[in-house]
Amino acid sequence: MSRAARFILNLFVYLAIIGGLIFGLPRFLTWALETPYPMAAITSGSMWPVLNEGDLVFIQGGRKLEELKVGDIIVWRGTEDRGFTIHRVARINGSQIITKGDANFNEDQPIEFDQVVGRALTFRDRPVHIPHLGSITVLASNWKK
Amino acid sequence: MEELIQPKKKLRLIDKIVLAVLLLVFLFAFYVTLDANKYRALVRVVAGEGKVGVNPTDQALDFGDLSRGTSAVRRVAIENGLPLSLYVFAVRTGSIRTLVKLDKNYFRIPPRSSDKIEFSVYMPASAEIDRVYDGRVYLFKIPMP
Repeated sequence: MSRAARFILNLFVYLAIIGGLIFGLPRFLTWALETPYPMAAITSGSMWPVLNEGDLVFIQGGRKLEELKVGDIIVWRGTEDRGFTIHRVARINGSQIITKGDANFNEDQPIEFDQVVGRALTFRDRPVHIPHLGSITVLASNWKK
Repeated sequence: MEELIQPKKKLRLIDKIVLAVLLLVFLFAFYVTLDANKYRALVRVVAGEGKVGVNPTDQALDFGDLSRGTSAVRRVAIENGLPLSLYVFAVRTGSIRTLVKLDKNYFRIPPRSSDKIEFSVYMPASAEIDRVYDGRVYLFKIPMP
């Protein structure tokens, strides 16, 4: 095989791997974690020190209300397109869930279960997160402002 | 016993140019690192409400004693005596890294002028009482044409 053909073949393989990772990974995570939003970036310090600004967390969907418990870190969507919030469950009152950021002094407004997008994926009771990888989303959201 | 002695390879012109550029880059990075302002940063969490204890010092970025929900601010002046602009950015390390916020980062100081950076620490609800959060702050100053 000539050098040029080998170079083109190598390039093709590398591009296929990168393309597979970029397009395939989110699809795989959507399937594996049972949610259309498998990843989320932390955009504030409200969950400090467990989660820091710029961290990327994995979200697990397909949960039932009965499976949620106080202490779980959940992702919920605001009613007026306020975006997503990632806070800890402080109390559960019937079908209403009250969350609070670890670093915050006040609880959030109660939310309904159908606003819950999912629960932060945990390993040994700690949320699985990749530090700094969510910074791109944080930069983009700051850029919009 | 026979020894194979290979003749010394002479460096080509392109090798010499690459080496010279690498050496210059290394020396520049070395100078910038040496010239950086380095500060020890620390803050202690105290019990109670609204308590702020100040430790006046110009040797460190000491935010003193803070109770949850309180904050402290420290300012650092940067003088540019060069006939070139300075590109300034701060890097924070240690457990205090995520607590220290800057009013600005990644900015230019015009030739023969000065500027100030404001470092602030807000003590969140999840801070551990009696713990000392510390680390280092490096202020890098890169001369720019």
